[in-house]
Amino acid sequence: MNESETVVQIRQLEDTDIGGVTALDEKIGGEYRPEVWERRIGYYLRRDPEALVVAEVDGKVAGFMLGEVRSGEFGLEEPTGWIEVMGVDPAMRGQAIGRRLADRMLSHFQKQGASSVRTLVDETMTEIASFFDSLGFEPAPLRSFVKNL
Amino acid sequence: MNVTKTYIPKKYHQAVVKWQETYLPDFGFLLDNWDKYFPRDTKFELCAFRELGMCSEIECGDQKGRPKFEQAAEMEQQQGGHLLGALKAQASTEFGSIQQHQLTLARAQEEEEQFWILRMMAEELRHGYQMLHLLLEDDWKSVTDQSGPEMVEEILSMQTGSHILGAFNIDFDSFIDNVVFCALIDRVGKYQLSMQRISAYKPMAESMPQMLREEAFHLAAGVVPLRRWMEKAAQDSVYITTEDIQKAINKWLPRGLEMFGDERGGGTNVRYGLKPMKNAEAQEQYYEEVGKVVRDLNMRFIRARLPELSLSDAETLLEKLLEEGGQSQGISWEELVHMPHREFFRRRGVPAFRMVGWAGERFDDVEAYLQHLTAHLPDGYRAGRDFKDYAQMIRRVDSGELTGDDAARTMPSLRRVGGVCPCSRAVRWVAEEPDGNGSGSRGEAVR
Repeated sequence: MNESETVVQIRQLEDTDIGGVTALDEKIGGEYRPEVWERRIGYYLRRDPEALVVAEVDGKVAGFMLGEVRSGEFGLEEPTGWIEVMGVDPAMRGQAIGRRLADRMLSHFQKQGASSVRTLVDETMTEIASFFDSLGFEPAPLRSFVKNL
Repeated sequence: MNVTKTYIPKKYHQAVVKWQETYLPDFGFLLDNWDKYFPRDTKFELCAFRELGMCSEIECGDQKGRPKFEQAAEMEQQQGGHLLGALKAQASTEFGSIQQHQLTLARAQEEEEQFWILRMMAEELRHGYQMLHLLLEDDWKSVTDQSGPEMVEEILSMQTGSHILGAFNIDFDSFIDNVVFCALIDRVGKYQLSMQRISAYKPMAESMPQMLREEAFHLAAGVVPLRRWMEKAAQDSVYITTEDIQKAINKWLPRGLEMFGDERGGGTNVRYGLKPMKNAEAQEQYYEEVGKVVRDLNMRFIRARLPELSLSDAETLLEKLLEEGGQSQGISWEELVHMPHREFFRRRGVPAFRMVGWAGERFDDVEAYLQHLTAHLPDGYRAGRDFKDYAQMIRRVDSGELTGDDAARTMPSLRRVGGVCPCSRAVRWVAEEPDGNGSGSRGEAVR
């Protein structure tokens, strides 16, 4: 099958995707971290499962996006969608998988009453920053601060 | 998203609280410790949610495209009867699972796993409450002679042994059952709720979204501990072995398959617009999905046992073990978990009492079949009443005394003292309010 024939299914993430997300994370980061994803997906599934999205190709997870709507944090009282974790199979990049994941998640955030969506991106990750630029995200006046302990 | 929150009339609400105090005594402990395990999560509340703004036209069947029914009285009598049957069965499962989980909840080895199950039990209570809300909000006179209060009393009076579906009449033997039940039986629940999301009866459809959101976590409350147990088993933990997990799968999967109903049926529900899939189609998807869970568990085991293997090497090893059996790189086929054949240990549906073995092999001799079952089922279960009833029934089928269909209709028998008739029990859950208050429901919009 060539690239143009690849069928990408965007759907809600389920408990059965824990292994697939773990595998994709390993493919991207080189580290096998099942306990991290068991805990993290368990957390998100009990909060707002409809906000969790995966891209499936040939029965395998080719991308995922986790996030939720929150309010009352960082002085942001209005309901705000947060994209918190995402990953796309490096071999599948350039096929708009990230965009399709984001479209679905943002649509859900809107239904949840969010009027804006935010995320934080490491300045060194220019590819991720470009991705959010392409989705229409703009730098926000909210700055992140950190102090090592 | 527009969701309303409603409380059922006070006397029924109090009946559910009384029921909770009896069958879910750790409820207060859960709420007191909520922030420890579920920080930032909205605190649990016993109420009914309805999602507004859903599809208002019937989505499948003979009446597709017509407006959905707001009241049971608008439906054809048989259609309403089917709906009421599904509604009562759903209610029965919600309350029934709490009674089962409570039996072995205290035996959890890990506090976190115990709290996950406890939260799941509280949410099942809310799901049961949701179904009572549907029974009490409408007038079901056109469908049944039973009044709303009588239906509530009937449902709250059911116990393990007198519930509508077989899976809810089986006692738990250990905390493994709590976890495997979530992974397998709640998964059937997910299918049923997803199908009922398109129900031609609008109040039913509107009840499903919030239940489905909560159900997603219930499945994780099963799958995540199972994954962790597979990791520990791979590291030769003495506590829970893959054999224990396999036997629990063997115990519950046949009951899960049967919860979809007879493989030949389900067409009426589709025609009436109550569900979009026939029984066999939904059951097939479920079986495949459980197969995915099982494969995932095996990958967790292999990666834990052989951490030096890459993902693709681990996948290759799993394929080799599944195809060839035997042993490879220190892991044997027997150490993994596997899907029982879909006709194994069935007592309802097309394969009921057919004597099909775990791997699909056929048995001619009933005693040999029972020996086969005893080798594949958990010890605690084999020593219980449910298995004894099954053994007696299959012997009667084998001798020609009963047909498989007759036997299927008989299982499970009602063995609890008191049965389901509310009049036969000393406890009545719904108490009349002396001042006549408490008959109206209270509601509010939440978002």
